Amino acid sequence: MTDDPIKADWQDAHDFDPRDPLFGLSRHELSGPRLSRRATLRLMAAAGTLTAAHLMPGGLGRAIAQAKTGGTLTAGWAGVAEIVTLDPAQMGQVLQFQITSNVLSGLTHINAELIAEADIAEGWEVSEDGLSYTFKLREGLSFHNGDAFDAEDVLFTYNRSKDPAQSIHSGNLANVASVEKLNDFEVRFTLKAPQASFLTKTTERASGRALTIVSRGALESMGLAQYGLTPVGTGPFRITEHQLGQGVVMERFDGFYDPERPKLDKVVIKPIDGAEPLAAAIEAGDIQFIGGNPVAAQLIDRFKANPDLTVDIKPAPGFQSVWINPHRAPMKVESFDKPLDELKAEKGFKVRLAIAKALNRGLYVQQARFGYAIPAYGTINPAMGFYYDEGIAETSEQAYDGKGARALLAEAGYPGGAGFPPLELIVRPSERRDGLVIANILKQELGITVNVATQEFSVMIDNFLKMEFDLRLGGSGGDYDPDDGIVDWMMTGSKFNGRTRDKEKYPFGYFADPAADALIEQQSITPKPEDRRALVQEANQITSDKVASAFLYHPVDVLIHHKDVLFPAVSRIPGLTDLDRVSLA
Amino acid sequence: MTEIAPSAPIPAERGPRARLGTSLAKDRKAQAGLIVLALFGFAMVFAPWLAPHDPNEMSLDMMQGLSWSHPLGTDDLGRDLLSRILHGTQISLFVGIVTVAIALVIGVVLGVIAGYYGGWLDLVIMRYIDLQWAFPNFIIAVYLVAVFGAGLVNVIIAIALAFIDDFARVARSMTLSLRQEQFVLAARGLGVSDARIIWRHILPSAMAPIIVQATVSVSYAILGEATLSFLGLGVEATTPTWGLILAEGRGFISQAWWLGVFPGLAIMLVVLAINFVGDWLRDVLDVRESL
Amino acid sequence: MSTYLLRRLLGSVLVMWAVATLVFFMLRLVPGDPIAAMLADAGSEEAAAALRAKLGLDQPLIVQYFYWFGNVFQGDFGTSIYGSNQPVATIIAEALPRTLSLAALSFVIAIAIAIPAGILSATKRNSLTDNTVSLAAFLGLSMPDFWLAILLIIVFAANLQWLPAIGYVPLSEGFWPWLEHLILPAIATGTAFAAIIARMIRSSLLEVMKADYIRTAHAKGLSPGQVIWRHAMPNALIPVITVVGIAFALLISGAVVVENVFAIKGLGRVLIGSILNRDYPVVQGAVLVVSAFFVFSNLIVDLLYGVIDPRIGYS
Repeated sequence: MTDDPIKADWQDAHDFDPRDPLFGLSRHELSGPRLSRRATLRLMAAAGTLTAAHLMPGGLGRAIAQAKTGGTLTAGWAGVAEIVTLDPAQMGQVLQFQITSNVLSGLTHINAELIAEADIAEGWEVSEDGLSYTFKLREGLSFHNGDAFDAEDVLFTYNRSKDPAQSIHSGNLANVASVEKLNDFEVRFTLKAPQASFLTKTTERASGRALTIVSRGALESMGLAQYGLTPVGTGPFRITEHQLGQGVVMERFDGFYDPERPKLDKVVIKPIDGAEPLAAAIEAGDIQFIGGNPVAAQLIDRFKANPDLTVDIKPAPGFQSVWINPHRAPMKVESFDKPLDELKAEKGFKVRLAIAKALNRGLYVQQARFGYAIPAYGTINPAMGFYYDEGIAETSEQAYDGKGARALLAEAGYPGGAGFPPLELIVRPSERRDGLVIANILKQELGITVNVATQEFSVMIDNFLKMEFDLRLGGSGGDYDPDDGIVDWMMTGSKFNGRTRDKEKYPFGYFADPAADALIEQQSITPKPEDRRALVQEANQITSDKVASAFLYHPVDVLIHHKDVLFPAVSRIPGLTDLDRVSLA
Repeated sequence: MTEIAPSAPIPAERGPRARLGTSLAKDRKAQAGLIVLALFGFAMVFAPWLAPHDPNEMSLDMMQGLSWSHPLGTDDLGRDLLSRILHGTQISLFVGIVTVAIALVIGVVLGVIAGYYGGWLDLVIMRYIDLQWAFPNFIIAVYLVAVFGAGLVNVIIAIALAFIDDFARVARSMTLSLRQEQFVLAARGLGVSDARIIWRHILPSAMAPIIVQATVSVSYAILGEATLSFLGLGVEATTPTWGLILAEGRGFISQAWWLGVFPGLAIMLVVLAINFVGDWLRDVLDVRESL
Repeated sequence: MSTYLLRRLLGSVLVMWAVATLVFFMLRLVPGDPIAAMLADAGSEEAAAALRAKLGLDQPLIVQYFYWFGNVFQGDFGTSIYGSNQPVATIIAEALPRTLSLAALSFVIAIAIAIPAGILSATKRNSLTDNTVSLAAFLGLSMPDFWLAILLIIVFAANLQWLPAIGYVPLSEGFWPWLEHLILPAIATGTAFAAIIARMIRSSLLEVMKADYIRTAHAKGLSPGQVIWRHAMPNALIPVITVVGIAFALLISGAVVVENVFAIKGLGRVLIGSILNRDYPVVQGAVLVVSAFFVFSNLIVDLLYGVIDPRIGYS
């Protein structure tokens, strides 16, 4: 990251008078439909979101060779029987916004380096105090149903998403104080506090969802249920058919703002549950592309050996942990709000640390993930590049050390696991195998018994949010910004942190540390990337050392398609499947 | 799922034991069935000694083919498949036998009460039995497991409840016909208590169809447990069950066919053996299969 | 006849009501909160409360029950609460043709195998053919249907790649695409059914052939074929019909399992998926329709029985 060209880009991006409303760019440079690399970098810098990772080679908006247009792509969506809804207000899964990212627009959209770029907004300006974002919208566009697009649609989407009765993402707009329409093609968002992740999270078209633009007219004419099946937007593809359990058909939308896109005429998406059927389908050529949930790890080597297939592996933006309930007996911790050394003298904490240290992540990755994962020690994932702490595997208290773990357990009064009560590890049905491997590792390393209990997702998440479990395997996906990891998971008030627990019985959820909270709050409003990184990594280190959870692994993002599907690097956004630049050979 | 209705009791010319012996000598299928069942019974009891490995011991030798150290290969976590199937015998057979025993006791009690006393008791019991009868046992078991949750005890309860109606119907129809028999009427006239009449006179005569029903039910219960486990609704003990082994291996069958073949083969062999024996018992005990 | 029919119909409706009511209350007494699942990814307490209120889940149970029942009488089964917001009626209407297609094809395949097999083994009693048929029937009855489904996928989809491994294509997209997706599931579902029917035909035919009138027919010099088709079969079919009723129920419960292996979103998959996700309105609707399936197939079999065997009176 110290290469000279990168430094030069960095300096150039920041080389403007902060008072200049155009960031030292000409009007021409700032106008759409496509921003230059220089302009984008500068906008990033101005918005405080530019990081060194963005400057890595192979980056922004690299023009792709003219590819043939037309044709139909048939895609399989892995690990799902039916795609229940595509209404951004109701979507909760990556496999859903992978599809809507092709159909609906946002004000911004992240690119392959996780940088926010203009999408249906042409550009934006940020006020000096970082509280006001003014978006200039693209003009002359229409929705798939023919309705014209203007600022009213942004307002409508905002009002819909902030209403908890209509949207499950209302919480993501909590920091927005107001939205005003300046004219038909300009809107201004005013924030309550500066937010570094505003452009990569809140206004993001795919994972963001709160400001993914929906069509007023279509919602009215179709009704909620039908809109959930065939949402209407302004994206490159329009959905022409969707039968639950059968799949989604998308066709090229001629009115997309970039006339060059999309390349394909038609995309057919079929949900395919189960590893074997998925493998059979792509090997037989029934499908040419795999999206949806992560592909079962045992298939990766098999696909790699297949000369017809391209297998591209990248770090995925997410983490998985073994959550340890601090309110249950052998691993009880009254409070995390004390220096680490004091904490380490407590019996309950010794057990927690013993479990975290005993996790032989290397063996786990081999056995449970067939080698396809990266050991984790915190929520900040390698896909975040710039913010990821390469050294944490060594510096964390959780670093694998079987001997040390056994010693801790003995100090806590359970030498060799003797007298240790059996614990229950709750997992989703699809993670049963992973649970068994964890139980086996803890048995081998510590001599303790862990029983794996499979629970349907609805039941498991209910128990997790109520803090009614011993151990739980689970984590997050689609974490593009540090906020997705530490704000959503590691703060006392994080949305998953014992949200529905009995507050009388359990004063906090799985973790609560004011020192970590302060750092996380601070990083959220720190615009300067280096400064933010320091805060992010410090917070990450605390949550790792104090065992907010026993961090296990970061998944990998595996893109699999037939060789005749041309998937350009610029579309290779971890976790997403943007098909607008994809073509067939 | 099949109901066995009695034909009119035929006075036995020879004792039933003698008939069992002579007919077994002629029935090769029954012989094979009994031998297979004996083998599985042996495996059930001695699994810990017969199994070459700990069924839960994992290794990085994942999905290894058949070999001397792993006669049926290893699974996706490097566990020895033969050892897992042997240990699986314990739960699969246990569930089959225990569920049917429970269903038999409850069902026969209900059926005899309904048939013997008639009136509103019969009406209430039969309404319930008819309700359950309208649905296949497996569907009822799915409902019950879904309501109670998975787990060994819940699966046993669900399967047992699902089979009650079969036994109740058989017991009721037997009781109804036996109630009018001379020997029962005579005993009543002599003032013998109802409990004694049922225990001494009705139950022994009704036993043949109940035994046949029980035999058939064990095979359905084993299938039911395997299916529930396969669908993720079943037993989740540390000891593997056949349905679970199949469910776990399902995602790996094209790389390791043995994971898809052997556990299913075990289920099929046991069920087949029970069906052979059940058929023979039906012949010998002269129970007509009417449904 | 008409009062009998009316009584039976009323009884059938009562059974369905009882099942629906039982399931309504039982499902609500077990853990697992659909709202928690919906809001798992994002959302707040207020969002959860608002959704609960919107779906009426904050009302007392008994109020929810009457509310639901009132709506059912108006043909409104409610909407799915697990993400999709789809009307339950739509979900079921989409699933129904898939299950019906599967059941119909399994039925046809099974009957096409069972009738000749049953007749062959009855007419050539104790021959090699008879023994083979009998053994095959035993195997068919003993094989777990989901295992057979897996074996079929290994052989015909994964290795030979003759037929697709999963999925369903509606008949409107062509006969062959529809058929090709259903062949393997139909075999997996229909095998046990075929075994039962074949065995029943055999034993029933053997029984009938012992009867005096068959001997008379033989004595009159009718050919064996004529005897079987004109005289023996009609009577032999009577007990078979009752078995068809029971076996049809087996076929549907088999479809529930097999649909899950082949990822066909029919009634069975809807039922199991909705139970697992605690999607109450869908469970209710699916239970009602599945119940109707069994209850009315029993009814039809009873009536058919009367048509075929005039000796049975309705009173």
